[in-house]
Amino acid sequence: MAEVRFNKVRKKYGSTVIVDDVDIVFPDGSLTVLVGPSGCGKSTSLRMLAGLEEISGGEIMIDGRVINGLEPRDRDIAMVFQNYALYPHLTVLENIAFPLRATKTRRADALRRAQDVADSLGLGALTSRKPKDLSGGQQQRVAIGRAIIRQPAVFLFDEPLSNLDAKLRVETRFELLQIQRRLGITAVYVTHDQEEAMTMSDRMVVMRDGRVAQSGRPDEIYARPNSVFVATFVGSPKMNILSGTIADGAFTSPSGSRIAVGSTPAHDAVILGVRPDDLTLSPSPTGTAKVALVELLGPRAIVHLDASDDRLTSVVDAAALADLPVGALVDLSVRPGALHLFDPASENRLIEV
Amino acid sequence: MTRRTNLWSVARALLLWVAALTVTLPLLWVALASFKSPAQLNDPGLVLFAPNLDNWARVLEAGVLDAAGRSAMVATITVAISVVAGSMGAYAISAYKTGGSATRFGILAAQVLPPAVLVFPFLTMAYALRLDTTYIPVIFAHLSFVLPVITWFLIGFFDAVPRSLEEQARVDGFSRFAAFRMVVLPQVLPGIGAAAIFGFTLSWNDMFYGLILAPTQETILPVAIAAFNTFRGVELGAMSAAIIIAVVPVVIASFFIQRRLVQGISGGAVKF
Repeated sequence: MAEVRFNKVRKKYGSTVIVDDVDIVFPDGSLTVLVGPSGCGKSTSLRMLAGLEEISGGEIMIDGRVINGLEPRDRDIAMVFQNYALYPHLTVLENIAFPLRATKTRRADALRRAQDVADSLGLGALTSRKPKDLSGGQQQRVAIGRAIIRQPAVFLFDEPLSNLDAKLRVETRFELLQIQRRLGITAVYVTHDQEEAMTMSDRMVVMRDGRVAQSGRPDEIYARPNSVFVATFVGSPKMNILSGTIADGAFTSPSGSRIAVGSTPAHDAVILGVRPDDLTLSPSPTGTAKVALVELLGPRAIVHLDASDDRLTSVVDAAALADLPVGALVDLSVRPGALHLFDPASENRLIEV
Repeated sequence: MTRRTNLWSVARALLLWVAALTVTLPLLWVALASFKSPAQLNDPGLVLFAPNLDNWARVLEAGVLDAAGRSAMVATITVAISVVAGSMGAYAISAYKTGGSATRFGILAAQVLPPAVLVFPFLTMAYALRLDTTYIPVIFAHLSFVLPVITWFLIGFFDAVPRSLEEQARVDGFSRFAAFRMVVLPQVLPGIGAAAIFGFTLSWNDMFYGLILAPTQETILPVAIAAFNTFRGVELGAMSAAIIIAVVPVVIASFFIQRRLVQGISGGAVKF
């Protein structure tokens, strides 16, 4: 049990800054996801916390104790790597028991505890196998078992699900979350998958170019992204982004797209963001947008629109599709409360209107 | 298409046969010679004859087996030191890029030196340290070429071990060295076995350093073989028997490591 804190943490390779004065708090017992595109510094941050990369500046603290110079083994952490890093020459049971060998636990005790962990993960029948004889999902469980056996202060996960196929990924995501909740151990989880980040995290830290772009609860970030980058990175399908002007209750882009925005105050130049779920379509012979393609998802459907030069997407009920054949003209509108407005120069969120 | 494939496979088989015969015929000839009397030795083409064991008796009486034992001892100690130091060196070069890309091949640079350049410094040091009646100078001399070769040989094997294994072990509570010993090293054991046999053969076959640095009265195998080239002429029969004693262990060992041998040599050579 421990709070993890990054104070102005920095990582440089030569003159290249990978992580740039990052401040993050990982609350005790929570699962915090570091998410961002590749090269944003999330994995480097995790590896600095693990002690596998040197820290160029700032401090990392676990439970108030600065751990900058400590060896990984003195940090009381457990880590699950993307490729699981199972020891090929050891059996499943020996792999899970391995961290206990460092703590001078008696071999019989260690193996008994490893058996308990294996049973709890549904690996009970596989304990004498070698890693190469396991499926990807089973290997993943062994890696998790090895991480939880020692009851560390902090769990570190480095894209642990990205080598699994899509179905297994969703199942494992849920299991992992349950284990973390049950043990109540602070967890830091790195992924490039925003959906994984949204569904798993208590707190989400979106990173970009070595800095924290935004951090907070996933629902808060989804509802109030503080920049165009975060707005488009989080949420699927991606948020519609258009630049133009707002006047007389309508947004107009230079190419002529028009979206009704109700009572929103006028803006000379603004970047407008609308989540596809919030973009309402009303069929009209004088509509400014045309249905280009429909993707049916089941009860919902993604409608791709051509609005002059802009391409927009909207998510609608499948029931409404009868009125929206390909080629149909539609009017676009958004509730004022569902609008996201960004400054065209800085691309930062404008103060709420 | 099939016609060309057939032609190609015939050509390949032919090439392999030529290569195999080039290697085995002289050995076969030496093996036959070891059972011939001096008179029969004058007829190199003689294949069918009544074998006799005189040459073998002569060789045993001359203490060739003792020399083989001493060679084995020198080679074993050389290899033991080389494997311990070489595996650590190879891992450092593979995982930590110690010395940059230069060391990957640079480590073999000493092979370019003719042994004659090194042997006299070794000899004078051996005298100065009063070690000239021991096998220590020979072992050191053999280390000068066995250790770099074993290190280079193992780099490719270590390249195949994911770095995350060592990192995982360090996170799991072990020091770097413990992680290396308990997790990384077991992954390359087959390579180390092959390297050990390869290194053993290099040491076993060396004559030059042994001739100059080994104690004169109790010398090592290749020197003992050469001793059948006496001032009365070459004792061809006895020498053949001694050569067979020297070659057989190497042939047997090579048979067991042939796959790893290719892996080690190509793995080390392909990657820059």
